[in-house]
Amino acid sequence: MKVEARRTGLIVTLLILLCIPVSASSQVALRMIGPEDIGGAWAEVIRNFHEEHPDIKMNYISGPWSTDERQNMYIRSFLSGNPFELVYMDVIWTANFAQRGWLLPLDSWFPQEEQEKFLPGDIEASHYKRHIYRVPVRSDVGMLYYRKDLISEPPESWEEFEHLCRTTSNPPERYGIVFQGMQYEGLICNYLEYLWGAGGTVLDENEEVCLETRENIEALRFMKKIIEEGWAPRSVLTFQEQHSLEFFEKGKALFMRNWPYAWNRLNHSPLKGKVGIVPFIHKAGQKSAGTLGGWGLGIAQGMKHPEAAWKFIEFATSANAQKILHMKRGAVPTRKSLFDDTDIQKESPHYKELYKVLLRARPRPVHPDYVRVSAILQKHVSAVLVGIERPPDAASAMDRSVSSYVQGKKLNWFRRLAVDYDLHRTVKNTLLFTILSVPFELSLGLLFALILNAPLRGRVMNRLSVLIPWALPTAVMAMAWQWMFNNPFGVINDVLMRIGLIQEPLNWLSSPQGAMFAAVFADIWKTTPFVTIILLAGLQSIPKELTESLSLDGAGFPKRLLHLILPMLIPFIRIALIFRVIHAAGIFDLIWVLTKGGPADSTRTLSLYIYDLAFRYDELGYGFFLTLFFLLALILTSVVIVKTMTLRYEKVPR
Amino acid sequence: MKKILLYLLMGLVILYCLFPFFWTILTALKPSDEVFSVPVTYLPEKFSIENVKNVFSKRPFGRYILNSLIVAGGATALTLWVASLIAFHLRSLDLKKATRIQRWLLIGAIVPPALLAIPFFVVLAKLMLVNHYFGLILSYTALNLPFAVWMLHAAFRQLPKELDEAALMDGFSPMGRLFRIAMPLSRPTLSITAVLVFIFCWNEFILALTLMPTQLKYTVPVGISMLSGASVYEIPWGEINAAVALTTIPVILIIAVLQRWVIEGLTTGAMKG
Repeated sequence: MKVEARRTGLIVTLLILLCIPVSASSQVALRMIGPEDIGGAWAEVIRNFHEEHPDIKMNYISGPWSTDERQNMYIRSFLSGNPFELVYMDVIWTANFAQRGWLLPLDSWFPQEEQEKFLPGDIEASHYKRHIYRVPVRSDVGMLYYRKDLISEPPESWEEFEHLCRTTSNPPERYGIVFQGMQYEGLICNYLEYLWGAGGTVLDENEEVCLETRENIEALRFMKKIIEEGWAPRSVLTFQEQHSLEFFEKGKALFMRNWPYAWNRLNHSPLKGKVGIVPFIHKAGQKSAGTLGGWGLGIAQGMKHPEAAWKFIEFATSANAQKILHMKRGAVPTRKSLFDDTDIQKESPHYKELYKVLLRARPRPVHPDYVRVSAILQKHVSAVLVGIERPPDAASAMDRSVSSYVQGKKLNWFRRLAVDYDLHRTVKNTLLFTILSVPFELSLGLLFALILNAPLRGRVMNRLSVLIPWALPTAVMAMAWQWMFNNPFGVINDVLMRIGLIQEPLNWLSSPQGAMFAAVFADIWKTTPFVTIILLAGLQSIPKELTESLSLDGAGFPKRLLHLILPMLIPFIRIALIFRVIHAAGIFDLIWVLTKGGPADSTRTLSLYIYDLAFRYDELGYGFFLTLFFLLALILTSVVIVKTMTLRYEKVPR
Repeated sequence: MKKILLYLLMGLVILYCLFPFFWTILTALKPSDEVFSVPVTYLPEKFSIENVKNVFSKRPFGRYILNSLIVAGGATALTLWVASLIAFHLRSLDLKKATRIQRWLLIGAIVPPALLAIPFFVVLAKLMLVNHYFGLILSYTALNLPFAVWMLHAAFRQLPKELDEAALMDGFSPMGRLFRIAMPLSRPTLSITAVLVFIFCWNEFILALTLMPTQLKYTVPVGISMLSGASVYEIPWGEINAAVALTTIPVILIIAVLQRWVIEGLTTGAMKG
């Protein structure tokens, strides 16, 4: 016994040792995450840096295009205790990361006089509570691109814009405008420009939420009008920056709202020389404003070699490096001096104009929970654009939701349950999803089990085929379903059109009802086999003699089903029901992959909300609290199912 | 007449169950321009394995597979080891008590994994095991242990008591009895449990997503769900379908070979819960 125990102990120790990585290198290794390095600008900066500092190894990790995803990667790395050393962050992350204590203050390295060499807006947005946490690498501001060759006088006001869209655009060959309409941070950058252009604001001087205003309703109405009047193609609802640029580049729109980086690309396209830039449009009598964007580098708190990290930051924000990033990537410099640089002026003559726009750029509300506030706004702006919420309703819901969140954070968790708008919404969706999917799964599962139980040939093959959906990975098959529900390339629309059930391809995944239907449909496909297998076992436990004697008595199939099969199956149905209700209510992977909870939160379930709370909004505690409640609810449901579905004979003690 | 109707129904059921899988394979085998052709072509006009090649050359898909194999393989081995220890101990208790303990274990098995992501993450972050293979292996072991204990306990119970006595006479330690007698004799159950646990781990998504946040540690399902292009128009659907097919084919092969035992294992596993 002792020998065995010692040996097993040894194996465990070895296993653990195997899993702990050992690093043995004298070189300091640094990592940062950025988008895919198209053009190789970062590669060149890093190559130059390595030449100067051979003792530091800099790794540029190509992350996904979506900034939200990259932010999640950073947050998870902070939480895991092994953060990426260099934090390449969007303006809006700074306050949150700094408030959480994840960033090293840079005040000693980056003094006042050095800061003054950078654009004022970028520096302002890099501060949190009087400390500076990042050095701006590239600046950004939203503005309007227009076709110089088609429009003589660029619009300034909404009314002029409307007039131009009505007279000059010609959809579907050439639309009025493209912008970023997908539900993500970019949508808010767009929305804020309309809101500011209407004279509105998110937080007033006293930091109070003021969104239930005439200005907000006007801004939302105007955005909705752009979609409804067909000035913008409906597909902008799925657009991010890159998609709008590609659309505009093909000459299919008169205007585009985008960031400065687009200029570089447009100048290497057939549109070269035909494009101009102006500040974004505003309501007559108000002032125009562009959303300030931009990226900067900070240092993660608690890493071993902050000096090495600072060396890289210093290098990457130097005039030379910014020039490389500008030439190869179209990045807008953050050093004021570079706007007078002859090379840059030669490459980008429009920078004189841009500099003026940049000085007028407005930062998004600087708030540690900005990301969450923005998530709420995104949801409602998106709901308005998709057409599932009216602008006045959206404006008041935004106000309620943002203030309830800002207040809710101050309340204790129990009280917060009552005001948490997202919670109520996701619980509703979860119930809807469960109620729609489970009954179908059970009845379809019963039907399949009955068919499989019939004395047919090829039983082995039949069972195998029915088993397959259950055995395949849900997340992976969700991808397959996303493809099949795709419009216009998906097979489901094609089949339905061929058999004449629909006349036109449907937008399954970009309409609220369609997305819910798709999710339910895929879930039914995936889990019916599970029900089938359990019920099949139940069917086989019914003694043959009983069935036969009933048939001899002249009972047809319906009678046998009602009086023999179903009652005998009750224990099996009960188990299947409990499993299915619990797992349908806790659904995550299928929806996360298929729709990400969209469009406009119409398929976001409680699990997705809890996941977001924990891993995106950084509210692990509250997320955990909701998890416990959810678990309690599931246990209660199971108890209720067991109590109501127990037959009398089963209660007899055995 | 009734028979024909039944066969017809059976055919429909099979079509319904297999269609998404076949469609994935058909799409994967189309050259990329045919993938995006309207109207949809049902049988590829030209077969091409371009997509399959791209999955491996353009993306670290080989790495994802390796990660999945390490995690699923490690978790399966650890689960079986721990589960057989527990099950063997349960066997020496009287049946009533053992069943009660098992019931409690199974409550853990019924919790949806999505609800376990936060607690697991918190614990593993404290242990500095986030983004380590071992962290995910531990989580999967915890997740699958109840099921494995149940299966093995049922198998061990069937072994005759006389065997123990004989082994005791021969001077076997309890560990020796487990590893040299009970486990070899329950080999069929062990292997089917191993296969099922492996499939569960291979398919798992949310824990892999939260506990392995960096790209080089993605398992196959996470890797596939993150496949994307620079824009909506560039989503590489051909490659995605190839990746989906590559992930699902092995599962289907395993199930095909072992289908009888898989069904039995599943039903018994679910029934006792």
